[in-house]
Amino acid sequence: MKGSRSDGWATRFGLIMAMAGNAVGLGNFLRFPGKAAPYGGAFMIPYFLTLVLVGIPLMWVEWTIGRHGGGFGHGTTPGMFHRLWKHPISKYLGVFGVLIPAMVGVYYVYIESWSLGYAWLTATGQYWGQTSNDAMRGVFNHYLGVDHEGLISFSPYAYIFFLITFAINITVFALGISKGIEVVAKYCMPTLVVLGIVLMIRVLTLPPVDGRTISDGLAQIWSVRDWSVLLKPDIWLAAAGQIFFTLSVGLGMIHTYASYLRKHEDVVLSGLTACATNELVEVVIGASIAIPVAVLFFGVAQAQEIARGGTFSIGFFALPVIFQQMPGGQFFGTLWFLQLFLAGLTSSMAMFTPLLVFLEDELQLSRRKGVLLVSTMVFVMMQPVVLFMKHGLVDELDYWMGEACLVLFVAIESVVFAWIFGLRQGWEEMHQGADIRLPKIFYYIMQWVTPTFVLVIVIWWLGGSFRDKLLMTGVPAESKPFLWLARAMMIGMLIFLLAGIRHAWRTHPKFFEVVEKEPIEP
Amino acid sequence: MSLISWCYMLLTWAAIIGLNVFCFSRIFARRNGKKQE
Repeated sequence: MKGSRSDGWATRFGLIMAMAGNAVGLGNFLRFPGKAAPYGGAFMIPYFLTLVLVGIPLMWVEWTIGRHGGGFGHGTTPGMFHRLWKHPISKYLGVFGVLIPAMVGVYYVYIESWSLGYAWLTATGQYWGQTSNDAMRGVFNHYLGVDHEGLISFSPYAYIFFLITFAINITVFALGISKGIEVVAKYCMPTLVVLGIVLMIRVLTLPPVDGRTISDGLAQIWSVRDWSVLLKPDIWLAAAGQIFFTLSVGLGMIHTYASYLRKHEDVVLSGLTACATNELVEVVIGASIAIPVAVLFFGVAQAQEIARGGTFSIGFFALPVIFQQMPGGQFFGTLWFLQLFLAGLTSSMAMFTPLLVFLEDELQLSRRKGVLLVSTMVFVMMQPVVLFMKHGLVDELDYWMGEACLVLFVAIESVVFAWIFGLRQGWEEMHQGADIRLPKIFYYIMQWVTPTFVLVIVIWWLGGSFRDKLLMTGVPAESKPFLWLARAMMIGMLIFLLAGIRHAWRTHPKFFEVVEKEPIEP
Repeated sequence: MSLISWCYMLLTWAAIIGLNVFCFSRIFARRNGKKQE
């Protein structure tokens, strides 16, 4: 049974651009500076270690699981896990690969729309004259409508840009893999890199400000002043979290993209290329823009303080202040926000695809019905995120989906692949049709280091803020009902997907039978 | 920024750019090879 897997990648370059675009997102330009700056140059050490020991191996694992499952007609992780592990629970463990991207997409699209809105505000100079961080915070709060009295935070401006962003995302995802996602990725990714290089050159050639040079800014990323911070678990957790987030591992989207590959198409070189492109954008381009320019204009202490203020502090408060002070700031500011928007779009356009593919492949819905159902579901769930923004719905969804479930899912897939499916078989599967052969050391890394590292992170995470988050410690009483609403949305989606899995495996069990013969070519 | 930090940054950049060149050159070489076949 082949399911409805008629779509697929038209070119290998398109696939790699889509995979790289999936990885390159807001995290490369906003989250990375926010995580790196508070630790100084020491952050890059656990960052690179985690990249090599966990991030890149997991990328290869996800590409391999995806192509393997796709060969049996499964485009999402419930079916893929079922093919890796012949146990009734395996398909239910795969639910995270559909749940996480869909629920992250629910708030990610709204955040992405801010970049588009700010590109417009910058191009038209609407916040010009607001030359302090506090003033820009006010502009930001006003843009989102969170400065209003009452329960609802609504701003027509923000809502219009949200609707435009949502429409773009749904159009791309409804067009499918080859006509939608691949086409957009092939044009957006090179554009994004060019925009990034233009901004990077502008930042690196800025003249000194109050005796500070751009070299002082780069030192904030590359100069290790205090080695002792490496002994703190926080820096390792922050680095690991950043690697998961930036490579988009543990989100289920890589599996779905890779499921459209044929059995003898390479996954090793392609996976490595997607990682390399992501690192180029994050470490070479991303690290050379936000933090160096913030240090140049505000000094080390204030730049660190801004970075600690949250993911959006640098991008939406500090940089607009700087754009107003630098030559050509309006032009470069608009480029900055357009770059953020493109980075967001190349990630978000993939987020609802696993849910659609699950409906098509496992529940055998037609494409038209699937697109309609997914669009309606996510649009309805986006409304509380937009309207109750000030009560912390985005943070709640991000914690449970973007951190907790993501880390849990990564742990599950690395254990299932390395210890249950078995790495001997996994290694062979990975190298089928491979353009390059991996050094044998990666066999042992994937066998022991990656799963152990991820399990340690899960344990650390459980001992960290988990209890406080679960019990909503420190949350104002008036915000608690809204956080419960966010939890109801996540649980509702989880139940819907679990029921879908159960229904699929009951109604057409032959599709899920163990096939000993050659898997179906998609 | 100290000399060591400059070296650290530039070597890292060189490694990442080199990895990109290696990956894309292998991909395009293979694609051109397939076209010629």
